[in-house]
This record gives sequence, structure tokens and C-alpha cells, in this order.
Amino acid sequence: MMLVNSVVLILREVLEAAMLISVLLALSLNMRCRLAWFWWSLPVAIVGAVSYAVGLELVTDSLDGAGQEVANAALQILVYCFAVGIVWLCAHGDVTGSRAVKLTLLMAAAVACAMIREGSEILIYITGFAAVEELRTAVYAGSAIGAGIGLSLGVLLFSALRALEASMSKITALVLLGLIGAGMVMQSTMLLQQVDWLPMGASVWDSEALISEQSIGGELLYAVFGYESSPSFIQVLLYGVSLFLMVVTYTFSRRGEVAAGEI
Amino acid sequence: MSSRACIIVLLMVGAAAPVVAATPIFEIEIRDHLFHPEELVIPANTKVKLIVYNRDSTPEEFESYELNREKVIMGGRKANIFIGPLPPGVYPFFGEFNPKTAQGTVVAQ
Repeated sequence: MMLVNSVVLILREVLEAAMLISVLLALSLNMRCRLAWFWWSLPVAIVGAVSYAVGLELVTDSLDGAGQEVANAALQILVYCFAVGIVWLCAHGDVTGSRAVKLTLLMAAAVACAMIREGSEILIYITGFAAVEELRTAVYAGSAIGAGIGLSLGVLLFSALRALEASMSKITALVLLGLIGAGMVMQSTMLLQQVDWLPMGASVWDSEALISEQSIGGELLYAVFGYESSPSFIQVLLYGVSLFLMVVTYTFSRRGEVAAGEI
Repeated sequence: MSSRACIIVLLMVGAAAPVVAATPIFEIEIRDHLFHPEELVIPANTKVKLIVYNRDSTPEEFESYELNREKVIMGGRKANIFIGPLPPGVYPFFGEFNPKTAQGTVVAQ
């Protein structure tokens, strides 16, 4: 039983980060950037996740009990901001020299922020239950299987993006990045509602009967679109605004590129 | 009614008013990976504050798809979670780290 719990829990945590990493790695190759940024982001993410896990009690009690949500929301909003920067640079056409450095830094920062929260939760779970002798094997085995499935799905997405023709692959990756980013803003909205920093309001719709958040499909939709089956008006509004800003960023970046090309 | 009684009544009303206006607070405990109480009745269409105490030594994550809530609570700690205003209904929640045993429902009525 602990085994299945561990598989599901770790898979859920890994999936979101795996989707983001796959999209960024594919985009990176597409823009002819080296993947070295990914290897730098890992130690940053690991140190961040361990520090966050160790300090979680402190964080949780700060800001009158709102600390955990505010920190998580901040990390997710940062990922969105980095994603906007990535879309801006990539839409502009080729990236070389300092633009390539900027792009890889943004990608590394986005991946690190996305991994800190999920990583710390995984650490808290594994260290919490591996301390219990009779659960240890199940927790380790389940976590490994869950992580394996999550990474496999990431590799699958990466391969699919790489299999597409270059321009198609780039636009698909940018669209996915926009959706993942907007999904993160939506999740951060929920966290801020949880601590009463944002008003709650009524649900706009309820699609739980149609696609359950607990189903595999629901989890995948959550990882890519931030799917909620009963979102509040503010969540939907901010999701829409986030997506719109992504489109605006892309359009303006393209227009600048075309104008520069005409000179 | 004497003037002193009047003042006392006014003071009581004055003291009670902010309490009435404030968000109602409900408490839940986690013990041996179970929620106590397993069914929590809250007023419908009202924002309430849940305080979840984790009395276990292991961490737990309070999670509810229906309430759109998730929060990690370390062993021996507590967490504040605001929910609602909710239309009348039953809203399940669970402990993500022990989902088979740690289950409960919020009943808004």
C-alpha cells in the first residue's frame, strides 16, 4: 500500500517539472544552444530544495502562517516570468552571443525554481517515512518507480518535440511553455487564496465529472495546463491574462525582429 | 435598566461585534494518520479558517481536489488553511502522504 502511495505521490511531483524540463531541453537544442545550463541548474535546485525542506517549519509559520503558500506562489510566478523572457528571446529569431547566454540562464533559473518546491516535498516525504523501519523499502522502491515513470513521460515529450520539423517543434515548445507558465500562475492564485491573500469567490464551473483531477488524464492536464476541475473566477482570469501576456510577448518580439530585418 | 447595565450591555455588544465579523475558526487533528474529526461541519457560503494540527511525528500533506487546497504540515506542527465561501455540499479531503487512511470530509450546510 505504501508502495503504491509512493509511486503516485512522487509521479505527481516529478511530472510537472519533467514536462517543463523536456520542453526547455527541446527548445534549447532547437535554438542551437548547448545543454550545459541544465547541469548547472541541478546543483542549484538540489541545494534550494534541501534548504527549503529543512527550513519549511520556519517558512510555514512566517507571515502569520502564510509563509509556505507565499514562498511557493513566488517560485511559481518566477517560473512564469522566466518563461516570458524565454518566449521573448526565442520568438526573436536566432539566438547567438549574449542572447544565447541570457536564454540559457533563464532556462536554468526556470528549471531550478520549478524543482525547488517539488524537490523539497519529495525530500520531506522520503525522509519522513524512510525513518519508519517497516516502510523504508516500500517508500524507496515506490519513489524510484514514480520518478522513473515521470522521467519516462518527460523523455517521451522531449523525443516527440525533437521528432517534429524544426519550426513546428519550436512553436509547439513555445506554446507548451506558455501553457505551463500560465498553469503555474493559476496554481499560485490558488495558494494565495488558501491563505486569504486573494479572495476566493465561487467556482466558475465544475468539470470533475468530465475529467477528474485524480485521473491520469487529469494529472497530465494539471502538469501541462494547471488543470483545475472547479476553478474560481480569479484563477480563470489570471490564467487568461497570463496566456494573453505570453502571446503579446511573442507578437512584439516577432514584430521587432521583422522591423530589424527590414533595415 | 440602570445606566451601569446599559454600559455593560454596550461593552458586551462592542466586544462581541468583531468576533461575529471575524472568520470562524475550525480545528482538525491528525493522529496516527487519521483526521479527527473525520467529518467537519461548517456554515455554507461563509469563509472559514481551518487549523490543522499534525500530532504525528511524520509529515502530512493536507490535500483536497474539491476544495482546491494542498499544504504540507510537518510532524508536530500546525497549518492554517482558509476555505470557502462554499455552496452547501460535501467536500472530501485527504492526507496525501497516507491517502488510504487519512480521509475526511468538510460538510457545508
